[in-house]
Order: sequence, then structure tokens, then C-alpha cells
Amino acid sequence: MDRTEGGTFFRGAGLVWKWQRLLWWIFAVNLILAWLATQGMVERLGAALNHSNASQYFVHGFNVAQFLALAGQPDSPLTSDRPAAAHYSVVFMIFMLFLTGGILAAYIRDERPQPGIFFEACGYHFWRFFRLLIYMLIVFLPVGGLAALAGVMYNHIDERSISPFPAVHFFEAAAVVILFLLIVIRIWFDMAQVIAVAEDEKRMHRALRRAFGLLWHNFFSLFWLYFRITIIAVVFVGLGLRLWMLGLKPGSNIAAFLLSQLMLVIWIATRLWQRASEALWYRQRAAVSGPEPVWTPAPVIASVAVVEPYPPPTT
Amino acid sequence: MRLSALLVVAAGCAMFSVPLFSQAPPGPLVRRPSPADTATAQKTLSIRVVGYTIDAKLDPTKHTIDATETLTYKNLTGKPQQTFPFHMYLNAFQPQSTFMTEVRRSGTRGNGPDTAWDPKHFGSITMDKLEADGSGDLTSKMEFIHPDDNNAADRTVFQVSLAAPVAPNASVTFRMTFHDQLPEVVERTGYKHDFDMVGQWFPKVGVWWKDAWNCHQFHANSEFFADFGTFDVKITLPQNEILGAGGDLMATVKNSDGTQTLTYHSEDVHDFSWAASPSFTRVDDTWTGSQGPVAIHVLMSPGNMPSAPRYVAVLKGSLRLFDQWYGPYPYDRITVVDPPHGGSDAGGMEYPTLITAGTSWNMPKGVLAPEIVTEHEFGHQYWYGMVATNEFEDAWLDEGINSYTEAKVMNELYGTNTSTLNFPFAQAGESDFMRLEYLGSVDSDPIATFAWKFRNSNSYGSVTYGKTATMLLTLEQVIGEDTLRQALHTYFMRYRFTHPTGEDFLKTIEEVSGKDLRWYFNQAVYGTNVFDYEVDDAHSDPLQWWETSRAHPKPADGVYRTYVTVRRKGDFIFPVDLDVKFDDGSTATEHWDGKDRWTRYQYDRKAQIVSAQIDSQNQLLLDRNFVNNSYNEKGDARATNKFRNLWIFASEWLSQLLAWLT
Repeated sequence: MDRTEGGTFFRGAGLVWKWQRLLWWIFAVNLILAWLATQGMVERLGAALNHSNASQYFVHGFNVAQFLALAGQPDSPLTSDRPAAAHYSVVFMIFMLFLTGGILAAYIRDERPQPGIFFEACGYHFWRFFRLLIYMLIVFLPVGGLAALAGVMYNHIDERSISPFPAVHFFEAAAVVILFLLIVIRIWFDMAQVIAVAEDEKRMHRALRRAFGLLWHNFFSLFWLYFRITIIAVVFVGLGLRLWMLGLKPGSNIAAFLLSQLMLVIWIATRLWQRASEALWYRQRAAVSGPEPVWTPAPVIASVAVVEPYPPPTT
Repeated sequence: MRLSALLVVAAGCAMFSVPLFSQAPPGPLVRRPSPADTATAQKTLSIRVVGYTIDAKLDPTKHTIDATETLTYKNLTGKPQQTFPFHMYLNAFQPQSTFMTEVRRSGTRGNGPDTAWDPKHFGSITMDKLEADGSGDLTSKMEFIHPDDNNAADRTVFQVSLAAPVAPNASVTFRMTFHDQLPEVVERTGYKHDFDMVGQWFPKVGVWWKDAWNCHQFHANSEFFADFGTFDVKITLPQNEILGAGGDLMATVKNSDGTQTLTYHSEDVHDFSWAASPSFTRVDDTWTGSQGPVAIHVLMSPGNMPSAPRYVAVLKGSLRLFDQWYGPYPYDRITVVDPPHGGSDAGGMEYPTLITAGTSWNMPKGVLAPEIVTEHEFGHQYWYGMVATNEFEDAWLDEGINSYTEAKVMNELYGTNTSTLNFPFAQAGESDFMRLEYLGSVDSDPIATFAWKFRNSNSYGSVTYGKTATMLLTLEQVIGEDTLRQALHTYFMRYRFTHPTGEDFLKTIEEVSGKDLRWYFNQAVYGTNVFDYEVDDAHSDPLQWWETSRAHPKPADGVYRTYVTVRRKGDFIFPVDLDVKFDDGSTATEHWDGKDRWTRYQYDRKAQIVSAQIDSQNQLLLDRNFVNNSYNEKGDARATNKFRNLWIFASEWLSQLLAWLT
């Protein structure tokens, strides 16, 4: 890691901290949508359980068999409204698709995201990022094919080996490769989004092509930048889950709620950290290779490319 | 056999975490003389109808067996017998068999070929030659029969007629040469990698029972039935193979062609199975019970060694409690076969003195699946092995009773609420899991149903395993836990090494308890009645309600009239107790016979109701819904809030997963 990478890594975290209002808004919307998604089920559950002594199976512990028995009742309060919960998650996904343009613009410009400017950037880039999402799903198709092929090969190896180990080790290796590919694709599309915002690139296939070139020539730098933050996120969430499962008293609902939401905050923060670091990385690189067009808030005449110098690199 | 229920589960066997096993030195498991030898020599444990002598050779690359078999059948039917039926179980693993037809129609218990036929699941047994003393070569006279479904393509049962009848108390000797092709493991038989599980592999004669031959076809939801006798089995296989078998090892001979021949003897059993793999690691131990020492042999597959002490611990605990509660274990050995990764369909199966267990790599201690499956299959040494009921027609007598004793033993060894899952954040007990299994199919079939006549495999599993166990756990509340234990002891001691019926079992319970329990058995065993009681309404109202107002809700005299309405929602009539608590600390207990659809209790007290509950300890496990068994006036939202936390968290993560795509 050279000084520039290290600076990007830590300054990305600083950027998330600096504009943490974004983090709290995303967290709040996520929480509110999740609350709405579960409200119907919780009301039905409350009507069934709150005045029943059977609720004690879940107060001072969690009796899995009783939970499954409850879920298996013909009129179980746990079995309906599942599609509703998924619908709210799709709403959140669209919300994040909308928000990403504003987030990246704020990080690239490193300016306080005023609501008007922020939402203008969100709207300005929404359809570009929607197209990128379609491209991403298309790119995922061969990865899905690869996963299917790995499944076939697993069976092939399993059937021809006298030991179970080769097939299992192959499966583990295939899982690592597929996970690696998913991360690489995510970084690729992250950089395409950065380019789309930083350079006001309207043609997404061109943004993808340029992002691919960037990734190709700076693979380890970008991968390491992304992967380090992923590790931090996984470690924190893993520790949180462990604390929740093993450390908290079964009846401490408030502590459990706070801990679970803290995990969410950390998760969202690390994702924003990745985006901020990628934006900074690109900004530094652009500063080295010269200024480029960037999206700026209205009033802007679309046909006029506005050149705005980036701050000098901190190195 | 027990499989899917054990996917679940978990937990701390800390009480047995001390090293209860030892790594055995390499070498054959040669039988040691034991006190049981002398006893056996004086008096046989069973009435020995059959004597099998088998000489088998395994080809571990083709997974085939070539064997000769000599069967001496003693005619104790009281009648001359000329026609004899035989099982050819391995022929079930063919596309047009009754087994496969049923699997295709309504599923199977394991991970078998239930979606598409795969040639690797093909298995067969072919008779190259069949002779009988006095009748000559009968090969051409073999006739496949289909007593259960008239499926002409099914070849799992054949019959043959002798030249002359065998007189009562006389014997006849059959001599057979047969060839087995093992399937890739399915329905507890077959190969996986270098592992061969050889069960139901030889031509086996039917049972003369209830004054007729009983020799059913191989079905998707049924097991086996056979007569007691002796087995002398020679198995030849490569010298690198490690073998476990349901018999005492009498001799091992190293052959010049690189093979070895192991000779086993077993008596007072009704089946013989074996497993071989060069990858096994052997773990030996010993347990001493009321009948002397019992050698414990565990054959572990690669990667599963951490589960070996768990197998041994639960096996010793089971041996101790069965010996203490139900009766002695008379054999001098028990072998546990641990199937390899990917061969789980061979796991969870019982044979006399040999069982197959099941675990996985990195099995958490909090998941007690290895303990449960081992305990369950060991329990079959009693309920199937010795009390040899007809598994085709009375599956509940082996699987159901065994599921009940599984719950009792596991609860005793690992805690009532932690004998299935034992984590700080989640727990479950065996009794609750039995009830859960029963809830999967509450009223689809009576318990007393022929195994292949259940609506589907789910109903078979739920009713045969879960409902029978739950029915017996609920019966404890009628006659007492100790009385039921005593009844099982009496049943075991009276019917071991015989083929009792369901009525033999039920009458034994009635006899020991001294109670007429037909009202219960008719609903729970022979019926499909649904058990569901609820507190329909519970509230208190000022007695002089007209003198109260919104501003002064409390009555001047302080007297309230409390109503509690209890309702029977299902058609299962069962007497229940109702406990009512009041806010002055007083209580009332009512006993309702449950015959009407509902009843109402009324109390005039200077107190208001706090709670009303039917079956306050939730011990009537047949009740399909515990949630409606009680009403608590104050309410407690903590459980709901816990669920809310979990649901919100799950929903948030689903959102984050989708948001990652953007």
C-alpha cells in the first residue's frame, strides 16, 4: 500500500464521517421500511401471543420447537404478509438506486450536500444507474452459469472420487472464486458509477468500458481498497451477531434492538466508506491525469461542459 | 429408522465430554468369550426358526456381491408347509418397482430418487440358483408375487413350492446362489465413494404370522419383518477394507490373493447387515450392564472423528437407561457405522447389533443430531431388534414407541428443554420436537395404519414417529410417567424375541395401569381425532355493575363476577384441568371432562381475574395449539417485541442485500 492508497482508505472513512447525515438518512429509511414491512405480522402475533402464557417460551430463551409449532398452525400469525416484506425491500433498493447519484456527487465534490442539490444529483443520475443495474444483471448471468457449472462439476467429481474430500474442496474453491468475481464486478460497476458522476458520462456502456480499463490497470489497488473495508464490515457484524447470540440475556429486547441496529449502521457505513474511498481514489487519479468534466448543480446548460478543478492531491 | 427430523438439532454433551472412548489398536474385532455364552448355550433367547449360512464376496469397485446362502427353516407353524415366500429387497431399486412407484407418487423419507430416475440408484438381487433338499433345483419354479398392489413389475417378493410339504416341526434346507448389485446409497443401503453399506442384501424368507405367510413387498414407507434365528456369515473382501457387522467376529483369514475372509456368528437375531470401507477409523469402548460387558465398536468416516466421543457417550447413556428402565441388553456387542460425507442416506438405520448414525463435518455441539440419531437407532435394538413387531403393518410399534423412548432418554441425558438444541440463544427439547413432528400431519391417518397405506410419506413420518411419541407422552398425564415406564418394561420382558401386535402393547398398558384406556386409544391410536382445547373467554365484571361508572369503575362492595369459558375446538374428548388465578392471590382449579363443546365457570369474589389456563404445564402434548390454552389479563408483549426485533433485522438485511446491486 503506498501513501496514496492509505490516504484514500482513511480519508474515505473521514468523508463518511463528515457527511454522516447521509448515513443516518439511509439507516432511518431502511429501518422505517423494515418496520412497516413487519408491522402487520407483529400486530397479528401480538393479538395471538400477548395474552397467552405460551409467550413465555420466547421470553426467557427461544424455544425453536415452539416457534416452529406456532409457525405451523393453520392460522399462524407468522405465515402471512411475506410478500409485503419483500416488497418493502424492493422499495428500499429503488430508493438506494435513486440516492447513489447524490451520494457520489457529494463525495466527489466534497461539499455539504444541500437537499436541493443533493436530490437534483439523485434524479439526474437515476436512469443512468438504472441502466447500469440492468447491465449488472446481465453480467451476473455468466456468473450464475459458472455457479451452475460448478454444481455440475461438483457432482462429477463426487461421483468419480473414492473420497468425499476432492468434491468438497472443489466446492469451497468454486465458492471463493464466485465470491471473488462478484466483488470484482461490484468494484467495476462502482467505478462506472463514479465515472458517470465525475465525468458526467451519459453513455453507460462507455462508462463501463472506461471503468473496466481502470480496474484492469489498477486491479490490486482497487480490490484491496474495497476488500479491506468488506473485511471490516464482516468482522464487526460477525462480532455483533456473536454478542447478540451468546452475550445478551434472552429477555433484553432493548439491548438486542440497539445492537442489531448498530450492526446495520456499521454495515451501511462501510458500504458508504467503499463508495467514498472509490470516489476519492478516482478524484486523486483525475488530479494526476488532469481535470475532467464533472456534473455540477443547476443552473447548467446541458450542452456546455463545465470544468471544475479538483482539489490537489493530499500526498 | 430416523432421518429428516435429525437434520435439525443440536447441543452440549458436556456431561459426557470426558474421554469416554479410546482409540483401538489396529486388528480384528475377535469375539471374546463372555458370560452370555454360557447362558446362551443353556437356553436360547429366541425361538429359532431360521438358520442362515452365507458366504459372500464383495467387489468394492463394482459394488457387487456374489454369495451362496444356505437357509434351514424349521416349520413351527403347526401346519404342513409347501410354499415359501422370500424377500428380494434390493430389487426395489428399479424404476418400475412398487417402491419407486410410491416414491414417485408421494415422496420418500430420505434423499432418494424422488424427482427423476437416476441409473446410479439401480440395485438388484438375482437368484442364480435355488435348490431345496428333497426338491432339487427350483430356480425355474420361482414366481414373483405382488401381494400388496398387484404390480407385476415388482420383483421384491417371490415364492416357490417344494416337491412335498414340510411337516410341522420338521425342517427344510434351501441352497441359493445369488448376485447383488448395490445402488448408490438409497433407503439406507448401497455405496458412496469407497463406502459400502450392505443391508437387506440376501434372500430372506417370510414370516408365518397370524396363521398366514407375511411377506410384503418393499414399499417407500415401510421397513422389515423377519423370524429369529442364527447367522453364520463369511465375508471376503480386499485386505485394506475395514468391516463392521452385526455379529461376533469368529475368525479372520488373510487370503493369498490379497483378500481377507472374516467369519461372523450371530444368534437370536432376525437380520444380518454389514458395512465396509478402507477409510474407516475404528473406535472401541466397553460398557458393562446387568448382563455383563458390551463391546462398543464405532466405525468413523473421514472428517467425522470429532463426533466419535459423542456417539460413544450417548450410546453408553442409552445402554444404561434402557437397561435400567426397560430391560437388559443381552448381546455382547453393538456396532455404530458412521456414513461418509454425501452418504447420509445410509445413516439413521437399525439392524440387529449394528446401527448407522449420522453427523457432519464441524457439527456444532449445540446441535444434538448425532446423539439423537444414535440413541434412536440403539433404541431399535429393543423396539424392532428384540420386540420384533411387524414393521410393515405396525410401524408405530417400533418407530413410534422408539421415538417415545428416544425423547425420554434424550431428555434424561441432556435436559428436557435442551435435548435437541442447546445454544444460549435458542433451545429445544426432544418432547417438543416429537410434538412438532406430529403437528406436521395431525389428522391425516390413524396411528394404526399399514406403513404403505399412509396418505403420503409426510403423514407416515408425522403419525408413525411424532404422533405415537406424543400420544404416549400425553398418556403419561393419564396413568403417570412411572406407570407407563413400568408398562413398557413389562411389554419388553413379555414380548422380547417374539412378534407382538398393537393390541398386545395396548393391553399391556391397560393391565399395568389397571385402567380401561379404550376411550383414549380409540381416539389417539385408531382414530384421527383432533385435540385442541382453548380458553375462549375470561373476564371479570363488577357484580353490581349498574352502580359503577366510567368515573368510578370499581364496585362499592369490591365484588366481581368472573367468567371463564373453556371450549373444545377439536373432536378429541379428553378431561382437562383449568387453573384460574385472581389478583388477590387466590386460585381455583376446575376439572372438565371435555365431553361438551364448551363449558363456563363463574366466580363471585372480591378479586379480578389474572389468568386462566388449561393444562398449566403444557403437558398434554397432543393439543395442537398451546397458544390458545391460556388467557393472561395483564398481557406481556416481550415475546412479540423479540419477534419484532428479529423480523425488522431480517427485513433490513434483505433490503441491504438488494441495495448491494445498486
